Amino acid sequence: MSSFRYLRINSNIPLLANNLIDGVISRNYALKSDLKIKWVRPEKVPFYKPQNSGDLQSFPEINRKQFLLEFQNSKELQTADENVKKLFTLEFAPKKFTNKVFYKSMEQRVKRHEYDYSSIEVKLARWTGVIRAQQELIEKFPRNKWLKIALKELIDKRTKHLRYLRRWDYKKFEWLLETLDLVYKPLPTEPFQVTRKDSLQRLTGIYVDNIKSQRLEKYRLQLESEQPAFLEEKIRNLQYIRDEQKACGVEVTVTFEEIEQVKQKLEDLKAKNEKRSSELENE
Amino acid sequence: MLLPPATKAQMLLGQCIPCIKQGASKFKIRRLELDTNLNMFFPKHEVVYAHDPEKICKTGDMVIIECLPQKLTRLITHKVKEVLYPLGDLTDPVTNKKIVSSKFREDIDDINRLYGENEGAFRYAKAPRRGWQENKKDFTHVDIRTKYHDDGRNDPTEV
Repeated sequence: MSSFRYLRINSNIPLLANNLIDGVISRNYALKSDLKIKWVRPEKVPFYKPQNSGDLQSFPEINRKQFLLEFQNSKELQTADENVKKLFTLEFAPKKFTNKVFYKSMEQRVKRHEYDYSSIEVKLARWTGVIRAQQELIEKFPRNKWLKIALKELIDKRTKHLRYLRRWDYKKFEWLLETLDLVYKPLPTEPFQVTRKDSLQRLTGIYVDNIKSQRLEKYRLQLESEQPAFLEEKIRNLQYIRDEQKACGVEVTVTFEEIEQVKQKLEDLKAKNEKRSSELENE
Repeated sequence: MLLPPATKAQMLLGQCIPCIKQGASKFKIRRLELDTNLNMFFPKHEVVYAHDPEKICKTGDMVIIECLPQKLTRLITHKVKEVLYPLGDLTDPVTNKKIVSSKFREDIDDINRLYGENEGAFRYAKAPRRGWQENKKDFTHVDIRTKYHDDGRNDPTEV
């Protein structure tokens, strides 16, 4: 502190007023802004949430009165006892059998032909089914590590293969997004770690830009309001010049059309102003 | 060794990247620069704007762009000449047939027909032109940004 005081007294360095507190150089590296900008840190969304994974649908309601997938075409079961039939429904089987039915229905949506099990669209449909089933499960057991890892890896794998498909076959990629109800977003163009300082700098930039555009708009309106008076003055002056040139017998440089043009412009401007004022009143 | 600026070349091959400008597209020009210390070439990218009033270029397309005799604006120095390789819709230059990765589309269709096509299956003949999912489910045509401020708005271009 004393060395600063010494500097203040004994040097000829010009100091800015805002750097000076009680005759001492104040620090200016951690300057706080006076602007009342409120920054709200965005809440962190877990990776498995549908808004991050890109799923627009969740696991649907499946009719649990239907038979297990393996027994749906069984002829013996059709003629079996009612209790036996009941035992072979999804109601009496673990959840994974219901999931299987869902995976199958997802594959069925996009299959190329009946024996298609390995095309890219079938793979993506199957993975989407598994992801939706696991997303439902992880909501109940958010601390299940195995599930968390499996889901993260599967979501990433699906995104990677969607990226490949986009490069190979764009039309199919778009059709698949529509059919499976997925959203595809690439990674951010510029990496940005959310910090208070950087975010506030960006918000201040937006604030300044808004002020600039507001002032420019205000100035534009002011100039436009002055335009009719200017045009009336112009008409009068042109008319005067024309009359004078005629009276003095010199060459007439101001044509009648020129004056008419200015009059037309004035009328257009008045109509435009009236329209704008009526719009403002309606708002 | 420093490369001369790419903009001096008469024609360039560039990849289209997302651009919000109206009537112009943005291109990434990739060239190799020699590192004299290592005696190795490293890729270097330059960004060029080209006049494209109908916006025929989509993100990812490989496009030939031509130098304009006079700059249109401060940024727009080129114009689009030809879309050489549209992304995900390639044609084999030898046979002039459409391809998907390393297979002909015809061959894929033949196999499907042999097994019996599924009703809900994808068909190239019925597929609309690229771009019908823009701003709906496909956000590759815009720059995606990291969300840094929660102002209550739900902007789909922020993650």
